Amino acid sequence: MVVKVISGDHAVAWGARLARVEVVPAFPITPQTLIVEQIAEFVNNGEMDADFIPVESEHSVMSVAVGASAGGVRTFTATASQGLALMHEMLYAAPQIRLPVVMANANRSLGAAAGIWLEHNDSMPERESGWLQCYVENNQEALDMTLQAFRLAEDHRVMLPVMICLDGFVLSHTVERVDIPDQAAVDGFLPKYVPVNVLDPDDPIVMNPICPPEYATEMRYQLDRAIDSAKIAIKEIDIDFSKRFGRSYGDLLDLYRMDGAEYAIVAIGTAATTSRLVVDRLRAEGKKAGLIRIRFMRPFPKGELIEAVSGLKALGVFDRSVSFNSYGPVFTEVRNALYGSVLPVTDHIAGLGGRDLTPEILSKVFQVVEDSMEKTPERDVYWHDLRGDM
Amino acid sequence: MFEVRFHGRGGQGAVMAAQAFAEAAVIEGLEAQAFPFFGAERRGAPVRAFARIDDQKIRIKSQIYRPDMLVILDESLLDIDPVGDGLKPEGSAVVNTRKGPEEVDLGVSVRCATVDATAVALEHIKAPIVNTSILGSMAKVQDLVSLRSIKAAIADRFGERLGPAAAEINAAAAQASFDRTKVGTCKGNREIAHREMWMPNWQDIPIGVTLPSGSYGKVNVGPGSSWQNMTGTWRTSSPHYLKEKCIRCLRCWFSCPEGCIHRLEDDYEKWDFRYCKGCGICAQVCPVNAIEMVKGVKEW
Ligand code: SF4
Ligand code: SF4
Repeated sequence: MVVKVISGDHAVAWGARLARVEVVPAFPITPQTLIVEQIAEFVNNGEMDADFIPVESEHSVMSVAVGASAGGVRTFTATASQGLALMHEMLYAAPQIRLPVVMANANRSLGAAAGIWLEHNDSMPERESGWLQCYVENNQEALDMTLQAFRLAEDHRVMLPVMICLDGFVLSHTVERVDIPDQAAVDGFLPKYVPVNVLDPDDPIVMNPICPPEYATEMRYQLDRAIDSAKIAIKEIDIDFSKRFGRSYGDLLDLYRMDGAEYAIVAIGTAATTSRLVVDRLRAEGKKAGLIRIRFMRPFPKGELIEAVSGLKALGVFDRSVSFNSYGPVFTEVRNALYGSVLPVTDHIAGLGGRDLTPEILSKVFQVVEDSMEKTPERDVYWHDLRGDM
Repeated sequence: MFEVRFHGRGGQGAVMAAQAFAEAAVIEGLEAQAFPFFGAERRGAPVRAFARIDDQKIRIKSQIYRPDMLVILDESLLDIDPVGDGLKPEGSAVVNTRKGPEEVDLGVSVRCATVDATAVALEHIKAPIVNTSILGSMAKVQDLVSLRSIKAAIADRFGERLGPAAAEINAAAAQASFDRTKVGTCKGNREIAHREMWMPNWQDIPIGVTLPSGSYGKVNVGPGSSWQNMTGTWRTSSPHYLKEKCIRCLRCWFSCPEGCIHRLEDDYEKWDFRYCKGCGICAQVCPVNAIEMVKGVKEW
């Protein structure tokens, strides 16, 4: 083990290197650029024995990734924002063919007015694609989850692609202390990929055939169940990881000071980190605040969430993206999961398009949630740090 | 509600027939809809189209399983598809055949009209596109939609796309077909064999819907299934090779979309009729007319 002070992007690149990835098709896009640059350098220096394939667009990136994975090799790529959007069409191939591609997405806002900064509106729409989706909180987790993601994706009970989402700039370009595990230890944790299906001219199979209506419902249901069954593997893999490396990330949920909590917020990514600070402050004031970090948006931890909020008097959900004229996507999922419960749940949108998310903003979020324990909140969605009346 | 199911082969115009029938109904002041079933459409492959007619707004958007009327544009389908499936016993049928109604066996005994629509089409349109001819016969067996409206619908649909001359020719084909149609009662002796389909539960579908070669249930799927599933059953006419004329240019061999023309050592050709779907491309590209398309599933 070596300690390095590196960016989230570089941590992901180290993860790919230690995972002994064999094929990396890539197209650089801010704020993911450092990932592919670092991998290109590793390959160039002979530190990584992978085929690095620079292609002309993200659509081709995913096409090559699907092809490589179908050929039975461990495949990795990274993208962000418009790049992910450009992949959208090809993104749907990997889950249905059950190809364990791992991809990092450095979250960045999508669309006009153009921006390069953090927002989750690039990856959130891709919850529908069939990819497993994990949101990390710091650079160490970015590296560790890259390793866990391959174990998960390649687990024969799962066989699904995994998208690791890391907050653009806040993680991608921020350096932190990162423990780089030993290659031997990683090799023990992550054995060589054994595909279930592989394209082999000597033993031909059909992958991705035309699927007539007679099979479509069953095929989609099978994928739906496969995503759900990944929950078991996620737990097991994290336990094994903690035994080997001494670091654990909890379950699909990561609970912080939820013992005896009366109110809490749900957050994903780095918003959770600052929320921990706010929770600590509130607890110091004698207030019973807690935090629920959702680590996986797919599979969505429905049952775990119901359990985690039992005993709460109010819940808030923090969203770093918005489904226009509706709610934030995390809120929609959380409130759906809690359907039938009388718990007041409010949505809190802030930190859009790279707007800085300060402890003060999050304190206001917690304040609204705390107030909603006593009296019915004015609205179910609050835009914080907004100039002008809501 | 009056529901019609059309069975034809890709290229015969079943979809157009269904649409023109619906349009004719609208001309009559009725409500109507027509739609195709999209499958693997290729020239010669069995296709289906549907039409619904009612005097009220039609509030159903699903396929037709229990038709009041069956329209069969290609007689050979009777032996391939369970075409009579679901046809109401009080319903009716129109079949493109040289046979009389009493000689046709649909598996359901119904009021049946027969006509050699192919002959009519060849006379009038100079191509075996039987959709307009068959529409004329349809006017004879049901009285919801008159021949007059059918001709008006044909004029409208064909006129718009292909000009008034084409419209007239097609309307004349409908009239000729109407005049030659024989109405009687068909036989219901044939067992309507349901096609064997592999119908797995979701747990039984191979992961990633990835198919190794083999059979599931009684159906061959995956690579190699084409060895068993022969597209030659689609053929309504067959290429007849006149070897003495052949100059061995290999154009037919190169152009056949099914790859069923084999090149012999001396560069003469040999046909694999298990897969020849009778599209006639080989005959068209042959520079010396060494291939003749002959009606029927003949093998040479
Ligand atoms: S042999 Fe001729 S008719 Fe038969 S499929 Fe080939 S091109 Fe078509
Ligand atoms: S296209 Fe005609 S002449 Fe040429 S090889 Fe075929 S049959 Fe012979």
